[in-house]
Amino acid sequence: MSKEKLLEVKNLKQHFKTGRHTTVKAVDGITFDIFKGETFGLVGESGCGKSTTGRSIIRLYNATEGDVLFKGESVHGKKNKADLKTFNQKMQMIFQDPYASLNPRMTVMDIVAEGLDIHGLVKSPKERQARVFELLETVGLSKEHANRYPHEFSGGQRQRIGIARALAVEPEFIIADEPISALDVSIQAQVVNLLKDLQDRFGYTYLFIAHDLSMVKYISDRIGVMYFGKMVEIADSDELYKNPMHPYTRSLLSAIPLPDPDYERTRRRVEYDPEKDHDHSEEPVFREIKKDHWVLCTEKEFEQYKTEMK
Amino acid sequence: MENILEVKNLHVSFDTYGGEVQAVRGVTFDLKKGETLAIVGESGSGKSVTTRALAKLIPSPPGRIKEGEILFEGKNLAQLSEREMQKIRGKDISTIFQDPMTSLNPTMKIGSQVMEGLLKHHKISKKEARKRTLELLDLVGLPDAEKRIDQYPHQFSGGQRQRVVIAIALACGPKILIADEPTTALDVTIQAQILELMKDIQKKVDSSIIFITHDLGVVANVADRVAVMYAGKIVEIGTADEIFYNPKHPYTWGLLGSMPTLDNEEESLVAIPGSPPDMLNPPTGDAFAARNEYAMEIDFVEQPPMFKVSDTHYAATWLLHEHAPKVEPPLAVQSRMKDNLHANVPGERKKEGDRS
Repeated sequence: MSKEKLLEVKNLKQHFKTGRHTTVKAVDGITFDIFKGETFGLVGESGCGKSTTGRSIIRLYNATEGDVLFKGESVHGKKNKADLKTFNQKMQMIFQDPYASLNPRMTVMDIVAEGLDIHGLVKSPKERQARVFELLETVGLSKEHANRYPHEFSGGQRQRIGIARALAVEPEFIIADEPISALDVSIQAQVVNLLKDLQDRFGYTYLFIAHDLSMVKYISDRIGVMYFGKMVEIADSDELYKNPMHPYTRSLLSAIPLPDPDYERTRRRVEYDPEKDHDHSEEPVFREIKKDHWVLCTEKEFEQYKTEMK
Repeated sequence: MENILEVKNLHVSFDTYGGEVQAVRGVTFDLKKGETLAIVGESGSGKSVTTRALAKLIPSPPGRIKEGEILFEGKNLAQLSEREMQKIRGKDISTIFQDPMTSLNPTMKIGSQVMEGLLKHHKISKKEARKRTLELLDLVGLPDAEKRIDQYPHQFSGGQRQRVVIAIALACGPKILIADEPTTALDVTIQAQILELMKDIQKKVDSSIIFITHDLGVVANVADRVAVMYAGKIVEIGTADEIFYNPKHPYTWGLLGSMPTLDNEEESLVAIPGSPPDMLNPPTGDAFAARNEYAMEIDFVEQPPMFKVSDTHYAATWLLHEHAPKVEPPLAVQSRMKDNLHANVPGERKKEGDRS
């Protein structure tokens, strides 16, 4: 089965100037593809550049270097207004904080319909209303909610409104930046199930950014692990959990507590020390260690990882 | 083992313009010496309010302890005046708050913040207090304490700040340590370090810990006993093994079912439908009934009492009544259970230490 590339990220760099001579290299040359219809999970600790990556892909930031191709077209290339508009329609974002990402002065109806208005997707107020009701039903709210304001909703419901807003313009690709981190466990499951269900029904492609690895494993087809602005490992999600190769991935996996006391009593955490755990004789490069399993490593490490492979 | 704290039928309410919010509605539990009791539940379940009431940190008004007793060393804390309470707070009972970014004073050197409690509760000189502070910073694993003691909070990372907060809480050698979501704001790797630190320290100073969290993975890691709270009540309480491997309350099933495990292949998450009840008008009967697929008619009429499962394990659900129909917990939960009844359920978690 040949998979169609929906998004190609090529050597993306995002540097921020923080002083006259200092720059923060938030994202420092990462390359990966996202295929049509899949969920790509991006994990890493805070400050590793995973959110910046998401924001650069949707061009909330202009990339310092490198490029992002969406269906073969450059996202960061020059665009006229009309092109930009059609592009914006195809890519949408769901934000982390359901409390801060909804305008408190707008009704749910207006929040959800904003994209419809901007892109001229509805002809009459009647059609607009009908579409909003339909969207609210899709995400598990009811049409009675349309005339209320964000403060009248719980966190989980607000996140559903955020999802309805992203879906309104019929996007193909959705970036979900920690969509469940601010929610309760039981509500997290509701939202994740909703995202999965929507994907089954409409064939969306997701970039799912999170630090909760067990949830990422559950929702993603493939996972990329980031560390200090670099992608250190990419693999199918089962493969990554069974065969973590990069020492950072191993340390990250060994740190997750699981709801199982017996397992917790025997869990041993692996520490990651970049100084000790790596061969520093040459610059590490991204290498394919097994089909579709990529690791950032040097030639020597590459040989070593290969022998460790199960 | 001897009880260090006994909470009996605690009710805490907040008087608001909308009416009386009954945040805690009759909580009873005890805390044994040297143990870690984890309290889990969704936001709004009353877990934070319960523990704040223990340290009398409920702002009053609007909050008040309506009813109940908090027995600590023969004293009923619920009746103590603020003045008497100040002698206990920070000394015998201290709290680690959730957010290390906001629980430190940004304008004070961390050394002075750790020392504050020492100087207040013990008659010692500044010099001695400083020496003790250095020891504490060392104990919580802050390197280079000699230098760091004169630095300000903004010079520390999130994990380091939480270590400082823990040092403050430990300063006077508390008998009870209340940790209110101490790792929720931290990354998994940092979280793991802090949890190891807390367990390590508990061994050294032998205090009892009440650990509030909504992360069941963390619970499994730290807890000796677990209390599950819902809508201001404890709905199930037992040892960690009993709660994880033999849960009885449908709400506990729901919580466990909505956590994905790492090694299951294809298994869908069981979300708990709906949202928690409004505590302005708590429902009659079992508060969980409206979200409970196993609810029976009686659940909407009468609150279930605590049924005994074993000497240490109690659950408040009518399902445990002798006349109740036998129900099986959802498959996702059965696969976690470890008693012999469910030994051959497919998808049983394999024991593994081979992930590293």
